[in-house]
Amino acid sequence: MLFCRGFSRISRNPRTILLGFILSRPTGPSQSLLSNQYLNSTLKVCAGRETFSWSLPAFLGIGRQIHHQSSSIIEEQLDPFSLVADELSLLAKRLRSMVVAEVPKLASAAEYFFKLGVEGKRFRPTVLLLMATALNVHIPEPTAGGVGDTLTTDLRTRQQSIAEITEMIHVASLLHDDVLDDADKRRGIGSLNAVMGNKLAVLAGDFLLSRACVSLAALKNTEVVSLIATVVEHLVTGETMQMTTSSEQRCSMEYYMQKTYYKTASLISNSCKAIALLAGQTAEVAMLAFEYGKHLGLAFQLIDDVLDFTGTSASLGKGSLSDIQHGIVTAPILFAMEEFPQLHAIVYQGFDNPENVDIALEYLGKSDGIQRTRELAMKHANLAAAAIESLPESNDEQVRKSRRALVDLTQRVIMRNK
Amino acid sequence: MVVAEVPKLASAAEYFFKLGVEGKRFRPTVLLLMATALNVHIPEPTAGGVGDTLTTDLRTRQQSIAEITEMIHVASLLHDDVLDDADKRRGIGSLNAVMGNKLAVLAGDFLLSRACVSLAALKNTEVVSLIATVVEHLVTGETMQMTTSSEQRCSMEYYMQKTYYKTASLISNSCKAIALLAGQTAEVAMLAFEYGKHLGLAFQLIDDVLDFTGTSASLGKGSLSDIQHGIVTAPILFAMEEFPQLHAIVYQGFDNPENVDIALEYLGKSDGIQRTRELAMKHANLAAAAIESLPESNDEQVRKSRRALVDLTQRVIMRNK
Repeated sequence: MLFCRGFSRISRNPRTILLGFILSRPTGPSQSLLSNQYLNSTLKVCAGRETFSWSLPAFLGIGRQIHHQSSSIIEEQLDPFSLVADELSLLAKRLRSMVVAEVPKLASAAEYFFKLGVEGKRFRPTVLLLMATALNVHIPEPTAGGVGDTLTTDLRTRQQSIAEITEMIHVASLLHDDVLDDADKRRGIGSLNAVMGNKLAVLAGDFLLSRACVSLAALKNTEVVSLIATVVEHLVTGETMQMTTSSEQRCSMEYYMQKTYYKTASLISNSCKAIALLAGQTAEVAMLAFEYGKHLGLAFQLIDDVLDFTGTSASLGKGSLSDIQHGIVTAPILFAMEEFPQLHAIVYQGFDNPENVDIALEYLGKSDGIQRTRELAMKHANLAAAAIESLPESNDEQVRKSRRALVDLTQRVIMRNK
Repeated sequence: MVVAEVPKLASAAEYFFKLGVEGKRFRPTVLLLMATALNVHIPEPTAGGVGDTLTTDLRTRQQSIAEITEMIHVASLLHDDVLDDADKRRGIGSLNAVMGNKLAVLAGDFLLSRACVSLAALKNTEVVSLIATVVEHLVTGETMQMTTSSEQRCSMEYYMQKTYYKTASLISNSCKAIALLAGQTAEVAMLAFEYGKHLGLAFQLIDDVLDFTGTSASLGKGSLSDIQHGIVTAPILFAMEEFPQLHAIVYQGFDNPENVDIALEYLGKSDGIQRTRELAMKHANLAAAAIESLPESNDEQVRKSRRALVDLTQRVIMRNK
């Protein structure tokens, strides 16, 4: 789940990125660091610098061009993660203190995955926080002791809560999955169950889940509760589908996409929708947020599937091959099966026999499986970007910036190679 | 409700709902009785009666609480069995022994998520909060039991707290939820809560006694499963008050079966069993008192249900298995 910063940056102005930090941080009345005036003058300074643009690796062909806004505000190189980095730290702190339980051992078990450095890339919370900004029609300037801010900061806090809840649910599912898979590594460190035993891993997962439920209930929005409850159900269903796949289902692209939606995309799509609902957006906007999350999640997983074969190289066989070795048949193989019906028999037999893995890899190499999977991922990435572009126009610079970042993310998801 | 897209999961989850192995359905019984006891007016069912819709709606919603509660309860049992490596539950092979830990964990998660979905559908945020708290308590209680330090093992206060989390919270909070759905006042909701809490505590205390006495009044005929798992319950805690020497044994733990025998000996000499029964009786009476404090009603159904709830408090005390 690591993103490569593969863009070649023509010139990168650290101060501009810092500006992005400051602008996007939720500031209370006592924290306003910039006045409007300073903001405008700094931006004018930036306008004199070179324009940044995306440089897409040529071999990928189709890429998306960032729409250049007609306003005079410059578009700086966007690092979506930097935009929300400060807010994420705040979130992480809150998450950690929320996880403090009456029983220390449980807290340390649950905290295991939130420790700095092993929390993965915080991809989901990043998407959600960006979505929150992208959908907030108006963010008033922070004023000293401004009462008018309360509602908005309240909204922001609630949206941050969604990001926290989502992350707790995600980690809970990882903890349980590791028990299920007898996994010994997760995010580069010993998985919890290997380190502390299955029992505590199950309990820690339950604990996170229950904390998420309590936080969810505190939002006092039953539609949001419904959405997130559905996500939990989908995670379980997806994992079960994976565990109990019959030989026929293993060969089905439809089954695979359904399972992928449940396991990966549902969490992002439904929490994006929840963000929109909390912001009081219309059903149409909420649906666009949902679509963004769904297509982003699917694109993400499809590239994940490719990378499992290709690893850090474009050629086959350098990847970890963990999917196929676990008997999990993913999109590249499914596409290869369409070209080489002989592959059906191998897949049907399953991959307990390592020879079958080699045979399958051979067919895959001869086929267009990898390429077609990339194309499908690209298709979903574009659908995600399109959803953002269909959002109602906004003149707010924050909003536009976040939307650009969300579109940027759709490209990063496709282009990463690890 | 437990029908899932994946047949194997459905059969796993249904495992505990099969007729004959569903236990005594104690919790749903309490909740449905409570529902009737608190519904100020239940009109007679009339053919195509429109006026009933609201009330049957209410009844359906209260039934939903009973279903949700049972799903959460079973989910916690499934996970507990994984945690305990238990091979028997309710007289049949536990799910994890039969189908593997993996499916048991997943089935528990599945039930939990279904419960959450049903809960959300009630569109009552206070009720959602209550039940969410229950889930948290169940986890906390189980963790308290798993990670007890030697000192905590000797503490009656710790034990009662853990017992509340593990056993009573589910009943108390779902009773309260029933009251809230019925639109009752905060006072009535609190009485419902108190009933559930004291009933639950009484239930667990007698459970503790029976683990030692089994179906006979004398010691040692019970399954002794608590003490053999190193779980120190009320009878032993009371015995420790009379015989401080027992502290050292308890502190050492019960991996050594000799310690079990020594503890039983002290227990036999002490009033531990009797005092636990008395404590259970006290809680049972508090539960009954809560029912009797409910606002008067002339409705025969309501009164009948309330008598039944009081009756339950006695059955909980007097059962011997």
